[in-house]
Amino acid sequence: MDSPGNRTLMGFTRRIGLWLGAAVVLGGAAAVMLVLQLAVLARIVSDLAFHGHVVSDALAGLAMLLALLVVRVLLQWAADMVAGEGSLRLSTAIRSELLRHLFHVGPVGLAGQATGHMVTVLGDGISALEPYFTQYVPRAAMMVVLPLLVLGMVLHLDGWSFVILACTGPLIPVFMALVGYRAQAVMDRQWRQLLLLGSAFLDTLQGLTTLRLFGRARDAVTAVAGMADEYRATTMSVMKVAFLTSAVLEFFASLSIALVAVVFGARLLDGTADFQSAFLVLLLAPEYFMPLRAFSASYHARQNATAAMAGISQLFALPAATIRPDVRGSAANVPLISISCEDVTAGYQADAPVLLHAGCTFTRNALTVVTGESGVGKTTLIRLLLGLLPPMQGRVTAMDESGVLHACWQDRIGWVPQQPRLVHGTIAENLRLADPMADLEALRAVAAQADALSFIEALPQGFDTVVGERGAGLSGGQVQRLALARVLLRNPQVLILDEPTANLDPQGEQRVAAAIAHAAVGRIGIVVAHRPGMIARAARVVRLRDGQVFSGPHTVEHAA
Amino acid sequence: MSMLARIIGHMRPLRRQMALGLALSVTASLASFGLLFLSGWLLAAAAVAGLGGIAARNAFNLFLPAVGVRFFATMRILARYLERLVTHDATLRLIGRVRAWSISRLAPQAPALLARQRSGDMLFRFVSDTDRMGQFYLEVLVPVASAAICCVVFVAVMSAFSLSAALVLAVGLVLCGGVLPGVAGALSVHAMRRISRQQDTMHADLTEVLQGMGEFMFLGAGQAVQARIAARAADIRTERRRVALIEGGARSVMTVITMTSALGVLAMADMACRTGALSAACLPMLALGGLAAFDVLAPLPAAWPLLGQVHMAAGRVFALCDTPPSVVPPALTRCPDDPSCLSLSDIGLRYPGAERWALRHADLSVVRGERVALVGPSGAGKSTLVNLLFRFYDYQEGTARFGGVDLKDVDADIMARHVGVVAQDFHLFQGSIRRNLTIACPTATEDAMWQALRVARLHAFVQAEPAGLDTLIGEGGVRLSGGQARRLAVAQVVLRNPAWIILDEPTEGLDAGTEHDLMTALLSALSPRTTLVCITHNPAVAARMDRVVRVEGGRFHEAGRAP
Repeated sequence: MDSPGNRTLMGFTRRIGLWLGAAVVLGGAAAVMLVLQLAVLARIVSDLAFHGHVVSDALAGLAMLLALLVVRVLLQWAADMVAGEGSLRLSTAIRSELLRHLFHVGPVGLAGQATGHMVTVLGDGISALEPYFTQYVPRAAMMVVLPLLVLGMVLHLDGWSFVILACTGPLIPVFMALVGYRAQAVMDRQWRQLLLLGSAFLDTLQGLTTLRLFGRARDAVTAVAGMADEYRATTMSVMKVAFLTSAVLEFFASLSIALVAVVFGARLLDGTADFQSAFLVLLLAPEYFMPLRAFSASYHARQNATAAMAGISQLFALPAATIRPDVRGSAANVPLISISCEDVTAGYQADAPVLLHAGCTFTRNALTVVTGESGVGKTTLIRLLLGLLPPMQGRVTAMDESGVLHACWQDRIGWVPQQPRLVHGTIAENLRLADPMADLEALRAVAAQADALSFIEALPQGFDTVVGERGAGLSGGQVQRLALARVLLRNPQVLILDEPTANLDPQGEQRVAAAIAHAAVGRIGIVVAHRPGMIARAARVVRLRDGQVFSGPHTVEHAA
Repeated sequence: MSMLARIIGHMRPLRRQMALGLALSVTASLASFGLLFLSGWLLAAAAVAGLGGIAARNAFNLFLPAVGVRFFATMRILARYLERLVTHDATLRLIGRVRAWSISRLAPQAPALLARQRSGDMLFRFVSDTDRMGQFYLEVLVPVASAAICCVVFVAVMSAFSLSAALVLAVGLVLCGGVLPGVAGALSVHAMRRISRQQDTMHADLTEVLQGMGEFMFLGAGQAVQARIAARAADIRTERRRVALIEGGARSVMTVITMTSALGVLAMADMACRTGALSAACLPMLALGGLAAFDVLAPLPAAWPLLGQVHMAAGRVFALCDTPPSVVPPALTRCPDDPSCLSLSDIGLRYPGAERWALRHADLSVVRGERVALVGPSGAGKSTLVNLLFRFYDYQEGTARFGGVDLKDVDADIMARHVGVVAQDFHLFQGSIRRNLTIACPTATEDAMWQALRVARLHAFVQAEPAGLDTLIGEGGVRLSGGQARRLAVAQVVLRNPAWIILDEPTEGLDAGTEHDLMTALLSALSPRTTLVCITHNPAVAARMDRVVRVEGGRFHEAGRAP
């Protein structure tokens, strides 16, 4: 299952080849039924009109017609369901694969990607692939099956009509492709502008408050109207050409039907053709073009799928991180006593390292605060420690109580990022993300350790209070303490916190800082912070400047 | 259905174009029907004439029906092409109108609206909802109206030959076009609604999971959160399967009804033939016509569910647009004579739906040229000052005067002339740096823009960019760093050169060096008569103001005057 295979539309199509194949076979069988059904109909009509039959004579034929009809309809229904099921399974599989891949890429690899964009790709983007598999691919296959079937039948009935259909049929895709390329060219030229104008409305909506603050809200109405008009003009210039493809199709379809009818009419008049064949050909002619029409209607499905695929491939193409902190190390779990960075050079571009030959050591029971101006490499240092960013040079190692050095120890870290995330669910559910088996006593214990118990118990529903983006609002400090409690549930040997007090008021800051100091006892505690409240709790302060690390006991004067 | 009536109301200015689009659609469908109908007759009549001997053969005029067939063929192509152009154009116009209208309705309730809908999903959905309202014309109204008109014509044409055949056709058409999609729609409506809800939930879950990915990985919860998403996806899959089953069933029944009706028409016509009311040549024509008539119903199964979606979309759009602004605009606005001093006395402001007062018994007075820092715990009501001044939210108690005028007589547009604000959650517009500066101040010259950028400590960056002021900053300014974006927002306000400037956390996201430079440049660039209010957490920023006011417990406390 983990073999990625070919992650293109082609590759995906192959993956559900069995489902799609079954759908095409069922659809083909339905097509056979359709042709037979029309043949029976032609016979009935001809018998009634020209052979003096009455309805009661045709009962057998009618019964057969209805039977064929029912079978055909059921086959088609089954074909649609099979194609739908295949594509549903595929899209679900792609979605979980992509999500898993994103987890492999990790947060550092994804730093350049907007979350909203990724959510759109995972949601609507993957959904946009489905019509490609349910409509475009089966219809592409039917475009071969049904016309050939009809053509075979017509050849059997009438040479002239065969020539007409056989000539016009292949011309259609050729002309449609010609027009289609032209449409694509126009589209490509306008793409940028379309994209920009297309998102202008959302942009204005998001900026309404800003516009009001500038006193420009009234102008926004005219601006939106103007941009919508420009969007319309641009879109129509593309559509004018795009609609020609269907006009071409209609042209050939109408022309062929008209030709077949007129040519047959002349020969019927001469008595050189029989009515039943003529009528059947007339019935079959629209069916000959129907798959083409259906196919061209699903052209958008392909267009959308191709566009969506670009976004999907781009995410799949992100390289997986080399270090996987969520994979448990196999080393015996002797507690760590220190972590050392030795002569570490690290950064995101080889020619511009953020940290240059930096060295520092973090030890147990000595809460270390890392400080420094923004952009100086605090986040880089944290990512290095977390193992999310491999050093370009030097190494990061941890030593345990028995003096053994470890290179892989990241699974012993408890990390609270600057903005901890709660999932939509109860407080207990959020805590249990760290340990699904934890009982309420364990939850209470860690909550108490993180100074979160009192506020949780003050909530009307306690641990069952629903939180998260759509839940009850907790204050920033409460979220921090809850997140701290959550990592403590894993009993980490290393505790790393990124700016835990950045957005808190002084009281919240004091409270969180105290909780952190308390929780760091018996662990290697590393905290990135600016604020004096947090720095005051530190046993050691590490300053970053110019890619270097300056560490010392807590005597360094530091103003926020 | 009043929703639809309101959408139709928005269509009124476009009614000519929309009627033209509908007429073209009807023409195309009728031509299509005519083509098959006439072809059927042509074949049968020619066959009858061919069987009838030389005299009948010579009497038969093949030329005229042949011309008719070609005429219908050409007509169908032309009408279809024009219909597409006209209806799509009208749709885009309609969307544009709805959007412009909605902006005019949403603007007065801007910050309150956004505050109520935190996640930002709402705006995305609003955009697609307005799109959907436009599609109402293209994908619901035109197909349904066109089908209805065509069906009447078809039945009328049929009745000219045989009344009973026409009756059979009418019943078939009504079953197929009206009853069947209605039933299928009713069966699937709940599933559709559940799907849309579950999709919203999944999007929100995905957002949470992606934003918290690193944290979840270190919690060892990566698998668990992925499983949560998978469970949502499985729910959606079940519902989608049900909808597909219903839709497929409806299509199948439709095909059966089509064929049965055609056969019914044939049987009725045959009976008419027996009585001599019809010639045998008409039988194939009517049978073919009976089949062709159902083609106009083909888009209807898609139109019905869409109607439900349009209804929901319009409901959401109108509900949002109809929300009365939280502050009733003053009947008669007055301009502050001297926009220099603000005095609040005994102000009480409570946000709608909140239990707690944001401000209560609050007094504050700021005079021209003062530099005031507002400090205090988060959530204490510091940002409420902006909401109060711009009348984004109403105050329930006390009196507030700005430049000698009661705030109740002032609206945001007037206030914007005197007060410039860098909000904490400022928005940068997509496009260039120049565009953003122009939005802030439409009359600004290029020199003024550079000057403002210099004050905001952004000029070096812009100069280094090859495109200079025309550098594109991406959606919401994503191509700028957080600090650069904030400095651009400061430049916008500096460019406006208002009498008052309110900065909400101006140095958030800046390092100490840049923060110091920015505040120094700003303070030296402002005329001494400009009033500056700084809302900040940062003691270094507060220390540079003349006066520090602490906001706590819904009141303003004088915390000290700098020497």
